[in-house]
Amino acid sequence: MTSAPRQSSFAPRAPITGEEYAKFCEFFYRKTGIMFSEKKVYFVERRLNERIEKSGCEDFRAYFSILRFQASAEEWQTLVNDMTVNETYFLREDYQFDVLVGGILPEIARRRRPGDKISIWSSPCSTGEEAYSIAIHLLEHWAKADDYAIEIFGSDIDSRVLASAREGIYGERSLQRLPNGLRTKYFKKLGFDKFQIRQELRESIDFSVANIVESVDMARFRSVDVIFCRNMLIYFDDASRRQAVEMLYECMSPGGFICLGHSESMSRISSLFRPRKFGDTIVYQKAPTDD
Amino acid sequence: MTEGLTAMKRILVVEDGSTMRLFYRDVLEKAGFHVEEAANGVEGLERAMLQSFDMAIVDVNMPKMDGYEMVRHFRQEPELKSLPVITISTEADEKDAARAYAAGANFYIVKPANPDLLARVARLLTGAPT
Amino acid sequence: MLVKRTDRTEAAVSAAEGDIDRLLRDLDAPDGALRRKAAHDLGANQLAIRPLCGRLATETAPSVRAAILTSLIRLKSPKVVAALVEFLRSEDAALRNAVIEALQDMPEDVLPALDRLLNDDDSDLRIFAVNIMNELRHPEVRSRLERVIARDTHVNVCMAAVDGIAEIGDETLIGPLQMLEKRFPNTPFVAFAAAAAIQRIRGAS
Repeated sequence: MTSAPRQSSFAPRAPITGEEYAKFCEFFYRKTGIMFSEKKVYFVERRLNERIEKSGCEDFRAYFSILRFQASAEEWQTLVNDMTVNETYFLREDYQFDVLVGGILPEIARRRRPGDKISIWSSPCSTGEEAYSIAIHLLEHWAKADDYAIEIFGSDIDSRVLASAREGIYGERSLQRLPNGLRTKYFKKLGFDKFQIRQELRESIDFSVANIVESVDMARFRSVDVIFCRNMLIYFDDASRRQAVEMLYECMSPGGFICLGHSESMSRISSLFRPRKFGDTIVYQKAPTDD
Repeated sequence: MTEGLTAMKRILVVEDGSTMRLFYRDVLEKAGFHVEEAANGVEGLERAMLQSFDMAIVDVNMPKMDGYEMVRHFRQEPELKSLPVITISTEADEKDAARAYAAGANFYIVKPANPDLLARVARLLTGAPT
Repeated sequence: MLVKRTDRTEAAVSAAEGDIDRLLRDLDAPDGALRRKAAHDLGANQLAIRPLCGRLATETAPSVRAAILTSLIRLKSPKVVAALVEFLRSEDAALRNAVIEALQDMPEDVLPALDRLLNDDDSDLRIFAVNIMNELRHPEVRSRLERVIARDTHVNVCMAAVDGIAEIGDETLIGPLQMLEKRFPNTPFVAFAAAAAIQRIRGAS
């Protein structure tokens, strides 16, 4: 990329002070449970300055007032979107797949007989990387994968990304975390920077359109054992998030698990699930006996 | 640092009020403790599960999961069964103390906590030197 | 092995979805899932406010309680607020907290009820009112919080308000914060809280 670097057109009239930054972080933490690390200071400040400028505010104080009091919370939502990076690629946050195979699936399997169904849902699945990653990871690393009928499905509100997911064609960048052996095993090279998931795997995964707050859509998902709902709930407004969480709860089997994104926590979202620890990772579980 | 110095005792503060959390941090850090924070019972449970602590200070009235419920969950986790817990409440009733102890707390203080009492009880429950 | 899902059970969108009588019966069903569904579906019907609140009083399952409150939030109105505010007197902390969170999502309707709560003799209720205001997206919260720290007689009510005040961060709030220390002398936390809040405000302006 050789375009000229962005100038300080996004610098507000007065630079954000240390206290203002701290005030912002405290607010963000209160509402999302997310604490920005030291490494992210530059990133956060830059995004914050951008939003202050774009919202037409004279200074941080005026901007913060909008964040705090705007009834629609529209600016808050925009800010949250901007603060979280949304790239998707294979084996993103794969420590959770280790938890799936090393902790969650063995626990579920103990309650099932050989041949029984185990279902895993990736929502939102976007262009499919997560669903395929789950499949690859468990075929490679779960010794008992052959003993159960494992259904993996992906859903998204956007039908275009689903079409991409079904097609299963990805570029080099998306595959960069995949070890070479897995690349040749599960992908067919179509050309320069173009790899397609092998047909057998593509056909094993069900991709469908679904809106997570629509009960008609959600009624199609029942008795799901594991949900990967990473980096989605944070983008909902409060009312929709309540709906979404209750829908997800409804879709789950008793004792089912839900995994959120790395920096997400149910602590600001819902108390319906119980935190469970596997290694250094927290996932959430629906009560084993439905209340 | 000379060898043989005891590592700092670690306290988890679970309280939804940010100023109150700051206060506990101030009092306890001055008393020589390392402090981590959580803003409600769910977050408190997560932090307690992921890191090791010598004691927890828990406000009983918090959103998402109140202090009593969090302590009950603590007592169901093998690693948290014996974690010393002080619950803090606005109530001076005996029955609230009873509730706290029934949930599994070790001690019960009414807020606003007296700093000296807090530091003293923290040292007592964590076995830190006086 | 991986198997492709075949049973996409299209749930029959119940023709009787709007059948309020059936839904009201289901609201008391022994099966939690049925109660949840009823609570959810009733959220489309203004007539359901009273029965939903009635069920809330006796419901013990957290997931059903959540569904009831989500529906009440959908139906938000002064009537809903009035009914929910009564639950703040409950002994059940989980229920109270869930209701507080629901009320925080009704900024347009909740202020009058908050004003009444702020005058209640029970300091805990005043604290809950402050808790709600600290989260409420309404500009008139500021003046009420200021009034609390200027006048409320109970230290914990004032301390709850300090958090909201520190966050709002108006310089004109510094004076009232300084008064707090004088109003509650010999209480270490008050001096600390006032100083911390003032520092936050000064630093960020």
